[in-house]
Amino acid sequence: MHTFIISLRRELKRLWSRGQSRYLILTSLGLVFCYVFFLTLMDEGQPQRLPIAIVDKDGSYLSRRLCHEINACQGVRVVNVYSSHTAARQAMQRQEIYAFLEIPAGTYNDVLSFTRPHLVLYSNNAYLLSGALSYRTLATISNLASGAVQREVLRKKGLNESQIMGLIQPIELDTHLISNPMANYQPYVLTTMLPGMLGLFVLLLTVYMVGVERREGTLSQWLAAGALPALLGKMAPYTLWFSLLGVIGNLVLFGWCGFELHGSFWLVALFTILLVMAMQATAVFLSAIIPDAHLSTCFAAIYGTLAFTMSGFSYPVTSMPPALQGFSLIFPLRHYYMAVSRISLFGSGFASCYWQVAALLAFLLTGLVGTLLLTRQAATQPSSQPTINPTVNPSI
Amino acid sequence: MNVLKDIWDVYVIELRRVLCDKGVMLIFFIATLIYPLIFGAIYKNELVRNLPVAVVDESRSDASRRFIHKLDATPELRVDYHCCNMEEARHLMEQRNINGIFLFPRDYDQRLSRHETARVCLFCDMSSFLYYRGVLSAASNVLLDELQQIELQRYSLVGITGESADELIKPIPYDDVKLYSPTGGFTSFLVPALLVLIIHQTLFLGIGILFGTAREDRETLRVIPPRLRRDGRPRVVIGRALAYLLLYVPVVAIDLVLIPRLFDLPHIGRLTDLCLFLLPFMLATIFFCMTVCSFVRERDTGIVTCIFFSVILLFLSGAIWPACNMPPFWRTLSYLFPSTHGIQGFIRINTMGSTLAGVKFEYLMLWLQTALYFVTSCFCLRFAKQFRLK
Repeated sequence: MHTFIISLRRELKRLWSRGQSRYLILTSLGLVFCYVFFLTLMDEGQPQRLPIAIVDKDGSYLSRRLCHEINACQGVRVVNVYSSHTAARQAMQRQEIYAFLEIPAGTYNDVLSFTRPHLVLYSNNAYLLSGALSYRTLATISNLASGAVQREVLRKKGLNESQIMGLIQPIELDTHLISNPMANYQPYVLTTMLPGMLGLFVLLLTVYMVGVERREGTLSQWLAAGALPALLGKMAPYTLWFSLLGVIGNLVLFGWCGFELHGSFWLVALFTILLVMAMQATAVFLSAIIPDAHLSTCFAAIYGTLAFTMSGFSYPVTSMPPALQGFSLIFPLRHYYMAVSRISLFGSGFASCYWQVAALLAFLLTGLVGTLLLTRQAATQPSSQPTINPTVNPSI
Repeated sequence: MNVLKDIWDVYVIELRRVLCDKGVMLIFFIATLIYPLIFGAIYKNELVRNLPVAVVDESRSDASRRFIHKLDATPELRVDYHCCNMEEARHLMEQRNINGIFLFPRDYDQRLSRHETARVCLFCDMSSFLYYRGVLSAASNVLLDELQQIELQRYSLVGITGESADELIKPIPYDDVKLYSPTGGFTSFLVPALLVLIIHQTLFLGIGILFGTAREDRETLRVIPPRLRRDGRPRVVIGRALAYLLLYVPVVAIDLVLIPRLFDLPHIGRLTDLCLFLLPFMLATIFFCMTVCSFVRERDTGIVTCIFFSVILLFLSGAIWPACNMPPFWRTLSYLFPSTHGIQGFIRINTMGSTLAGVKFEYLMLWLQTALYFVTSCFCLRFAKQFRLK
């Protein structure tokens, strides 16, 4: 306990006197910026009023009415009505529109004479989100148009309204989007992305701090207190600070922004703290196995950014090649995502995510291993002599 | 001639500095190759196929079983579990064994035979956009198919048969044409944007490290030939930019031309248009990086800044979240970064086959940025000098 306090005081003194607090403040500001940026960028939740166009070769009452009805949908807005396919395609290539509906000449006549006019619906799949959303709206309207014609015909045949509804809609799909009824895009992305940014910052800062110790040759001075107290003492102030930021971040997401949280808030907070600690431990481990400070920062950067992809919140891990699926386990963010999505969406308790707790705790062991490795490295290096930067530039 | 000689001198010095720095070489030539390969491998499967779902069939009828068989036959879904009740299915969902639940109520078949509207309940796992999209699209496709089959039966009961029944089922049929990426794959959507971002960010990182190292070693002045110290700044900037540009020609050729062909990403654009577009993109990026990196004091700060901005720039580019739906402030801010226009232009030319005329705005903006950042990087060179003298 005594050694822990010595180590802690040493770190606080370094933080205070050596200008290292600058990096702490910068990373904290960066984190705040990320929260503000992402929450304001995707303010709408789901993109609304996406620009689309109509190619109206028919110019009839029906085509104009279709255009009005499409414009009345929340998801899209008709920005232009073109008379040729080429003009619409070029507008799509200029990214003025995300989709367009082509109404061929003679559509209204065909509907009246019952000879099935063909609408064509073009959507831009190069933009996954906007293309899919605008396509969905156009497809819905086209289906409804068919329904309207059916209803008219059946009425003329003398059927009553309830018979007609049974005929034209025998089955309805009652869709329940669990814990995200509006299909809001923010909870998908932000509940994992923002803690991921937190983890990334913690990782880079910790690697940097260990790098400074190594560069200044103070490794053995730091580790003199013994591996465990030294590690705990050095990390504790940052663990506290970033855990606090993380929990405040959770409060912002689940409290202020109102993302669904069915489970316990404290459980989410626990995972945030565990994520911070796991990232610190991983950072120590990384800087121990890659002795070059610059190289370890580079490596941490690659590892940290890959975590977003490998956590599986955007592209499911189960759809990756099997060889890479196991690889996802070495990213703490993956375990965080697995646990927190379960807690927030389905209200799971500790009983169903103890495995993730265990996994994150296992990361802490790597921190200890890293410290032991560092101790050994410190013993082989004379402490007074600063290590020479191996990548000094030979210049003219 | 003197000008050319000066530029040549700076060019040679800068080239030597890059080639001698292990870290920069690693980023310029290894990272730019490794990253596309990693992302290519991760997103290799493109689509989310065979998502496991559970079915709670309380109706246990012919009609519900047919619906379930059709669900199982879709490429998106795989019916893995037949549960007795919702509680069981819920538990499976909570354990993340399934991504969706289909519930057929007890009266499903009765309602169908009474010619009423029957109901199928669908519960979607919302932990990832692709789960939701896959489950929902499979469900609605099966639903449309099933609707037509049942409608046909019902029409024949009210005396509408044959051709006229077919016509009545879909009086206004539509074809859907998914342009530019027919399968709607994740790779074809995200990787082109990532490729441009990789070029942008590795340049930033590399130049940041070069500038940061120079700053750490207090040698900003030493790397500039003495005769250029006073008013040769544009020549220094041009010489350096030339070095980076020529080093990046093979990198760009591999990442933006070869990789899309190698990984079968969409590549329908004309190569000349692409090259013409990439020239201002590269210049703007280089001058932008030289401007910003003048403020980088240490190697590691550059790395952290770069990583921080990677994610932000990806979202600002409008490749994920549509640009027209961004708040005006962020949209205006995004115009400052070459990556925004680079990503937009590259996607449009390479993926969507646009001509240079179709990316006129981006093209002009990039030239504008080139001019702007060229001037600022000349100024920032002076800033770097003053900083050093302090």
